[in-house]
Amino acid sequence: MPMPPEDPQPELALLARMKAGDEAAFVQIYRKHRERVYRLALLYCGSAAGAADVAQETFMHLITHPGQFDPARGALGAWLCGVARNLARKDSSGREDPTDPAQLADDMSPTFADHDSPLERVLRGEAAEQVRRAIAALAPHYRDVLILCELSELSYAEAALVCGIDIGTVRSRLSRARARLAQSLAPFEHHAREVTS
Amino acid sequence: MSEPVLEPGQETLLDLRLDALRAELATHSPPDALEAALVGTFRKVRPVDRPGLWWMPPLALAATIALVAWMIRGPVPANQDLLSLASSADSDPPFLALQPLDRIAQARGATVRTSEFPRALLADWGLPVAPERAGESVRAQTLYSADGVPLAVRLLN
Repeated sequence: MPMPPEDPQPELALLARMKAGDEAAFVQIYRKHRERVYRLALLYCGSAAGAADVAQETFMHLITHPGQFDPARGALGAWLCGVARNLARKDSSGREDPTDPAQLADDMSPTFADHDSPLERVLRGEAAEQVRRAIAALAPHYRDVLILCELSELSYAEAALVCGIDIGTVRSRLSRARARLAQSLAPFEHHAREVTS
Repeated sequence: MSEPVLEPGQETLLDLRLDALRAELATHSPPDALEAALVGTFRKVRPVDRPGLWWMPPLALAATIALVAWMIRGPVPANQDLLSLASSADSDPPFLALQPLDRIAQARGATVRTSEFPRALLADWGLPVAPERAGESVRAQTLYSADGVPLAVRLLN
């Protein structure tokens, strides 16, 4: 669920101190956003090691290019999520599906196997791991909005900026992504009912 | 393209599944070593400009120079009285140094003794002695080191 906007001033002050070389300010920013960035990377990469790499590169990008963040366009957390998303997608670009919706039509991958590590179990919970794999199998443009809006707490506007699309498209893609996710999880629901009955 | 519509039951089930995923994700955190690695990078990329410590390098340099100078010069004379005795210029005749001044200054437990001795002995200390008076005795105050070495001498009447 998107969180209500918070006062950006304290974080902007921290960022200014970080730019001036204040290590403590950087650590504060890192500790505030590390989980969010890491978990988003985990959903994109499908492996703990890959997520750690993406999280590291994301914060190194903050260290080396803090001027790229524009507070007028969104919160720092959203910008970091966007950087992590781009890095994760770049990392898996050799295996990534095309993102052009016209090319994708309504196709959906028939299996839940991850591109990165089909046999790796990332999450301990059975149900959570099923959903994660189902999300990983979604077409990238649906997966993007689902991960950003539903699981990373970005607003529609922030997700639109990250993905380079308008808010209306975010809404429609999210609606479709949810429908496809429900459809792909349906067999598991039936299976669960059979097991429990 | 019409928007797909989920039935209320499907929406609820999906939300439950997403909640399960959120709860599971919440238990995952980046490795602790990541923070240390990033802080290391931060220090390299953005070296700290510490305005409060700018004076440290010059102070360290000055302290080093002072220490080296002190070591070369040697200890400060502990017994300034000896120096003043050896080079005093008051109403009494001055002491004549028989040893280098710094050695006199470093002498510990030095004492002044008044005695009489043959004037010829002054020649041994490099002092002028008239041959016709060499046999006379002379009264003098001598500054001796603790081990009995004469450091300075003052001739009395």
